[in-house]
Amino acid sequence: MTVTIASFRKEAATAVGDAHLQVALETATGHFRDGRSEALAELPDAEALRDHLKAVRAATIARLADHLETFERNAIAAGAHVHWARDAAEAAHTVTELARARGVRLATKSKSMATEEIHLNQALRAAGVEPVETDLGEWIIQLAEEPPYHIIAPAIHKTRDQVAALFAAETGAPPADDDIATLTAIARRELRQRFLNAGMGISGGNLAVAETGSIVLVTNEGNGRMVTSLPPLHVAVIGIEKVAPTWDDAAAWLSLLARSATGQPLSIYTTVITGPAQEGDVDGPAEVHIILLDNGRSRLLGTEYEEVLQCIRCGACLNICPVYREAGGHAYGSPYSGPIGAVVSPLLFGLENYPALPHASTLCGACQDVCPVRIDLPRMLLALRAEEVSHGLASPAETVMEKGAAFILAHERLLRWGRRLLALGQLPLVAGRQLQLPPNLNPAQERRLPALAPRSFHEIWPELEDEDV
Amino acid sequence: MSEARAQILERLRARQADATDPGAWTTRRDFPDLVSRFSTALEAARGEVFIEDDLAAAVVRLERLLHNLGAQRVVANPEPPLDTLDLPVRFPDYAWHVAGENREALRQFCSEADAGLSSAQAALAETGTVIVDNADGRSRLVTLLPPVHIVLLPASRLTSDIFTWTAARSGPLPPNVTLISGPSKTADIEQTLAVGVHGPRRLSVIVYR
Repeated sequence: MTVTIASFRKEAATAVGDAHLQVALETATGHFRDGRSEALAELPDAEALRDHLKAVRAATIARLADHLETFERNAIAAGAHVHWARDAAEAAHTVTELARARGVRLATKSKSMATEEIHLNQALRAAGVEPVETDLGEWIIQLAEEPPYHIIAPAIHKTRDQVAALFAAETGAPPADDDIATLTAIARRELRQRFLNAGMGISGGNLAVAETGSIVLVTNEGNGRMVTSLPPLHVAVIGIEKVAPTWDDAAAWLSLLARSATGQPLSIYTTVITGPAQEGDVDGPAEVHIILLDNGRSRLLGTEYEEVLQCIRCGACLNICPVYREAGGHAYGSPYSGPIGAVVSPLLFGLENYPALPHASTLCGACQDVCPVRIDLPRMLLALRAEEVSHGLASPAETVMEKGAAFILAHERLLRWGRRLLALGQLPLVAGRQLQLPPNLNPAQERRLPALAPRSFHEIWPELEDEDV
Repeated sequence: MSEARAQILERLRARQADATDPGAWTTRRDFPDLVSRFSTALEAARGEVFIEDDLAAAVVRLERLLHNLGAQRVVANPEPPLDTLDLPVRFPDYAWHVAGENREALRQFCSEADAGLSSAQAALAETGTVIVDNADGRSRLVTLLPPVHIVLLPASRLTSDIFTWTAARSGPLPPNVTLISGPSKTADIEQTLAVGVHGPRRLSVIVYR
């Protein structure tokens, strides 16, 4: 799939035209924005803590190999198996092989963007394993056969009626009513059986702590605990950049993660997994496997994009972004949407596959303002745009226009005459000093563009200069 | 597999840079009363907190909670102070299971229990968090599968926040440590809060001094 400017515009226009969806997007992102502001305001040293976490993340990424080796050593000492995957296929293959070797037919999953990234569910199905998403939002979009709409709230675009219909189709019985408590109770009942019957639990990892070889999972529903406690086998897939060297670093990370994401001081459940059940344990998986996923991340080290590896995936940049808030998550065509997705998707999955995303931004900088580790996303969006031009990925029409504009702007006389010509040429389109754009350029007639003035600022400047200002 | 490992590490090493360790976060919050902060924070997350003068009062509270729940089946972790209370004898009206040898029976009982009883190894005042782990024969399912989780927490186990907890910690961790900061919740349908989607829908913490 390629996300072109045309395909982005088409998806975004659908979202903008859907009044219900616009309300849902604004309610959800507004709720998260307010929550974040309040949570950070309650923390006396929030700004200093953000700077501290940024310094921790930057230092960790710079020496990533050392920290990964420490993590691996301690995880193995705790009895876990550690696998390394260069790309999506290798990671998915590792998981399906683990399932196949143990005859697993049913796998329960805790929400994980890394497994979305490697298309694990398709790979599992192809290997004869039924994957069941257990985060309520993820289960809803799995039933709807759609990608997640938001990094932390995958089904914000679905209404309760739609959810009720999906549950009816899945369970064969329509819900008693479309009360949200009723729908939630259905999910609890249906998924509880899956948790108990699954041969394998699959999770991502919000972070990995090198000091103890632990994987940390953050959930509000408790599905992360189920998936890592009930099946005999637990497999965690985690990006190589998500290491915290020490528990103190992990504490700083966790202090800002939920606050930035939902405005909670901590999520309801922070689960720390350090190896499989030990001799004498009364429950827990017999085997824990951790897959360290590269998939394009190591290529970014030492480049102008290295900073993006500091991301802790809180989603704050989505909630603030004026483009995401209107266009919605699906336009981005990637599990990672919003400003972070606009940078990460082209970098991990190829700029040629996501040529539209560096342009899906107003460069207003709000994403950097709210980022817990202050990642300079606007800078990287510009760098990606420059790369498109230098790699010949920009459209021919755009290239011609930009070269033309550059030439004209460099020649004052051309600019002056060109402007005069345009001022005359626009006349048939001008009404009340506004330019009436043709419908194909302004489908909803919501854009207001002032007409070119009869004389340019440059032309009237000498007269202004004479005035006594 | 080891080829993938070698390649990834080699690529990372080739591009690595010097880095100064920023050190630990040393700023500390100062809560004049840990119990009251804990209680405010947990209640804000829809948990329930009862503050009792001593263990005897805590047990009276526990009895009242179980009674009001209409509980019939109760599962408990084998840990202090629960294991000193002789609960099955004291409250013979309930069917009891104490986590122990038989894994299958524990799992089955937890799936059908009305309440799970545990203590907590530590608690964080700032965020209203209880920390449970699976060392010394404690079960993870006791605090997860039943619809109600009741915690008997000695006030002495309260620490300020996640930083003071990690600073006090050392050595290897047990396979499972969970920080619980409220009842299970979701807002995945129309941003409307619903409690008890997978984990316990009610979290009651009895703090005793």
